[in-house]
Amino acid sequence: MAVNMAASGEDQRPRGSESSFSSHGHSSRLPNSPTLPWDKFSNWLHCICVVTFDLELGQAMELIYPGHIKLSEKEKMNICYLSFPDSNSGCMGDTQFCFRIRQSPGRKAPSHTDTQWERDAPVYLHRDHAHYYGYVYFRQVKDKSSRRGYFQKSLVLVTRLPFNNLFNFLTEIVAPEYFDNGEPCLEAACHDIDQWPSPQPGETLSLPMMGMVIQVRIPSKQDKLATTPVQVIHQQSTSPIPAPYVLPSLHEADIFKCLHPVLPHVQMLWELVLTTEPIIVMAPSPTVCSETVLALTSMISPLNFCSDFRPYFTIHDSEFKEYTTKTQAAPPVVLGVTNPFFAKTLQHWPHIIRIGEMGNIVSGGRQMLKTKKSSSLKTIDAKPGVYTTYKPFLNKDKNILKRLQKGIASRRPNEVQTAMLKRYLLELTQSFMIPLERYVTSLMPLQRNVSPWKQAPRLKPFEPEEFLKTVEHSGPQLTSGLRGDWEGLYRRFFRSSNFEGWLRARQQEVDDKLQALHLEALCDADLSLWIQGRPEVEVVDLVLKLREKMRFAASNKVCVKDEVLHRLTLHLDGIIRALPEDLRTILKSS
Amino acid sequence: MAAGPYNYSYIFKYIIIGDMGVGKSCLLHQFTEKKFMADCPHTIGVEFGTRIIEVSGQKIKLQIWDTAGQERFRAVTRSYYRGAAGALMVYDITRRSTYNHLSSWLTDARNLTNPNTVIFLIGNKCDLEAQRDVTYEEAKQFADENGLLFLEASAKTGENVEEAFLDTARKIYQNIQDGSLDLNAAESGVQHKPSSPRGTQLSNDQPANKEGCAC
Repeated sequence: MAVNMAASGEDQRPRGSESSFSSHGHSSRLPNSPTLPWDKFSNWLHCICVVTFDLELGQAMELIYPGHIKLSEKEKMNICYLSFPDSNSGCMGDTQFCFRIRQSPGRKAPSHTDTQWERDAPVYLHRDHAHYYGYVYFRQVKDKSSRRGYFQKSLVLVTRLPFNNLFNFLTEIVAPEYFDNGEPCLEAACHDIDQWPSPQPGETLSLPMMGMVIQVRIPSKQDKLATTPVQVIHQQSTSPIPAPYVLPSLHEADIFKCLHPVLPHVQMLWELVLTTEPIIVMAPSPTVCSETVLALTSMISPLNFCSDFRPYFTIHDSEFKEYTTKTQAAPPVVLGVTNPFFAKTLQHWPHIIRIGEMGNIVSGGRQMLKTKKSSSLKTIDAKPGVYTTYKPFLNKDKNILKRLQKGIASRRPNEVQTAMLKRYLLELTQSFMIPLERYVTSLMPLQRNVSPWKQAPRLKPFEPEEFLKTVEHSGPQLTSGLRGDWEGLYRRFFRSSNFEGWLRARQQEVDDKLQALHLEALCDADLSLWIQGRPEVEVVDLVLKLREKMRFAASNKVCVKDEVLHRLTLHLDGIIRALPEDLRTILKSS
Repeated sequence: MAAGPYNYSYIFKYIIIGDMGVGKSCLLHQFTEKKFMADCPHTIGVEFGTRIIEVSGQKIKLQIWDTAGQERFRAVTRSYYRGAAGALMVYDITRRSTYNHLSSWLTDARNLTNPNTVIFLIGNKCDLEAQRDVTYEEAKQFADENGLLFLEASAKTGENVEEAFLDTARKIYQNIQDGSLDLNAAESGVQHKPSSPRGTQLSNDQPANKEGCAC
């Protein structure tokens, strides 16, 4: 049986995975290579753009900083359109929001620092290799010197990292300075960022920025989930340096504030986000819609939301046609929109969240207790609420709503309400995920099956039906009081990209771990005895395999002890020494 | 648990020979990575590529040696050729000089390998039809006269690349089946891996994912 399993595992390998190619031209950047200007900057940002409103052209890219950064025409166009409010919502003064666009294909692969970052940082903070985030600071004020009578400009930070709070804060410092004093400010800000240490999971960093210091802690995979580490602000009264500005969180949304208008539906929204159902958020301003979309996608944390989401989406977006077509079912994405035009275009979408003006929230509170059919959404001035015909799988937890309502009545601070809501959602997500994690653990091969003379064992395949059998006795009911159709929710989840993404990450983790164990097993094997009397072809095969193992170890995806690497190098040298001299020369030169 | 099966039954050693710049490394890269290397650096010394293929239901691991075409490399040729089961001899259809040198490459191959080594002639860069300098017919005749397998291929488009590597393996496998290739001969260039090892052999252990077998 064991043999069959290994064989079937093999068949599942992706095509072409069994090939390898060693070449000099492909050596990855060494960790100790000298830092070039902009290297540190690019650990954080891709570039900073300034978008202006040109009377002839409309939105136009005025500046890209640093100047050597290349953006494709499509990327530029998307950045230009998404950096301005899309409707006549009258965003006077300063407006901040965030958008997300697809990267044009052909960008370079992750560098050495990425693999390390990705090993230790929580998965939802990983660099996005397919998208850019844009953090926008838009200013619209009366300006007599302008022909149109208005100053309309946006400063945008373009980055692959979803550090929402840090980058919002950064635009808040840099943009007004830039609007008032021009390009030298931008240069100074970029210079500051180019001095920043690279983000290290688990570390609290001090980041100088235009005369101040921002202090922020970078979360780590090892963080205990339930407790957000409390920042201690040190008084530095004796120091001439002003106290740093402490950013309470790098990325976390104030989900209570964002979801307050739809609080009674929060548990249903969690189900919709968990199973990547298509959701539209309609809001009066890009600020509200982008914050709400980010709050929604963070509801299932620490699970990573793996489908596409656009905190701010407009009719000019290059994916507009793709996402709004009526010829097929709505795509599994979350879109934030402000343009009233969407109320009509997207009325066929299964789940629509409409958030009104902040002032309307309290008065509209009662009506929003019930979900509404989308047919009532045809008019653009429809009432705030959740428009869906979705029937949740789980029964409603009235307890958390009561507690939050009580908090609203007693004017409990937002941070406390957010912490309560977050804790509730975290426990819900964990109750849902623990049975899955437990099942995956049961798929691990045994350590004694790791042998230097066999290929490294792999994780057994995930069988949804086998898993569901375990739910009956050791399902979420062990950790959650909620009743309902958990099995139905799991089945829906299995069809989502969130499941796929989670499983892929788990498999990768386990396989990397098994590779590392295999490496150690190889170290302890007597390879020089093994090669005695072997034909050259086989010995060369062994040398190539060992080199590949070493490359894998050096790729930093797993922690391999230096001692293990050292011994492997000795093995390799020993084997090569035992070969005829001419072959030795060849292997040394390759 | 019993020892798991190997995921291949044989290892075949291949070498790629031919003048500088005919596209040897690009052919190898196209075969192992299914990608064209646009600006391929000059090969220094020897590079190795591996890929597992299937012939008649048997998994075969190809161990492909790619060499620098430069003359100064001749110093290590003996060990390079030793034990090769297949040799891919490459010229560039847009540069006649690379074709003219084939007979000297063939002499080397014949002298330094065993009589059963399968030699496959590849006319590379067949995507550059406008710049053609050697006709198909001419090369085909040369191949026939010398008992070589022959195809025109393009490392850039991938045309006929798989075919050249796989046809060579089929021919070697056929030689094993009809007994003309003696596996016990020290320099056959073919290593048979028994299907039930006694725990002393090292099996393939390549990681399944692409990242694991980084270039």
